[in-house]
Amino acid sequence: MKWRKWNNIIHRDLGYLCVGLTVVYAVSGVAVNHIADWNPSFAIESRTISVDDALARAVGAPEGVRSVLEAVGLPPVFRATFRPDANRVRIFVEDGVVDIDLAAAEATVEVVRARPILREANFLHLNHAKRLWTWLADLYAVALGLLAVTGLFVLKGKKGITGRGAWLTGIGVAVPLLFLWLYL
Amino acid sequence: MRIGSQLPLLLTSAAIACAAPDQEGTVYGEQLTMTDTTLVSTILTAPDAYLGERVLVQGTVVEVCEMRGCWLELASDREFETLRVKVEDGVIVFPLSARGHHAVVEGVIERIDLTKEQAIEQARHHAEEQGIPFDSTTITGPTVTYQIRGIGAVIAE
Repeated sequence: MKWRKWNNIIHRDLGYLCVGLTVVYAVSGVAVNHIADWNPSFAIESRTISVDDALARAVGAPEGVRSVLEAVGLPPVFRATFRPDANRVRIFVEDGVVDIDLAAAEATVEVVRARPILREANFLHLNHAKRLWTWLADLYAVALGLLAVTGLFVLKGKKGITGRGAWLTGIGVAVPLLFLWLYL
Repeated sequence: MRIGSQLPLLLTSAAIACAAPDQEGTVYGEQLTMTDTTLVSTILTAPDAYLGERVLVQGTVVEVCEMRGCWLELASDREFETLRVKVEDGVIVFPLSARGHHAVVEGVIERIDLTKEQAIEQARHHAEEQGIPFDSTTITGPTVTYQIRGIGAVIAE
């Protein structure tokens, strides 16, 4: 039948077109699913180092800040400083922050690094790009819908939507409904 | 009331409406529409007077939500003070790299009243998000906080 031929062509070619973005969304989907347990885009490493008491107290002046940064093994370059309270000073550096506890003479160095591939995948998946990407992502969503519908009619007969396909499609619809019933 | 007693208030009002600097940087959310900034310290001195008002504030970004980028803390012009800017999850996402950069933010001042239990739960959630230790004993009763419901922001690069 002619309509099935066109159905399969659409399904095949859309499938090819969607492979790249589907992989991106799949990888990001798993990463973002566990957002309660980790930051899916950035790795944050933290270490606490003792600093000389006099050095810590010198952070009121730019030269003192630079000395502290050198003492904790960072380049002596900073963006800004902030005092959350009388006993603490936060220094903002290129890849993170350094929190100085004046009372304990300790520096906590927090370094933030982008997770390769994941950061980019999440950037697209969560539509941080906005602008034209919003429309492209919409187009992708429509294409996924078409892939799903055309996929139903690729095969005819026992393995098609009138046979095995009906059962599998039913299960695929029932599973989310079951979880809605359980959790909603 | 005599004019003399109103003078400090008038002078303060004149001082707090400052012209916004030409902020260049990345725009988050909507474009800024206001031109006069209000000092964070002025808002936090009498926050109820600003409830529901749209304001433009500026300062250094000192903290960002590590998980979702759904809020940031702006340093006040007064020592040891910050003002939180909360945005809708996913609509505006502030990057961690914004910390230490100057930001100009437009939004509406809102008040959050929490019972002791709610305040503990919020503090626990905040500690989880930021990966910092949580101590419930620091919250001894109901809390009142003020924040900006962020509409748009420009953060310097």
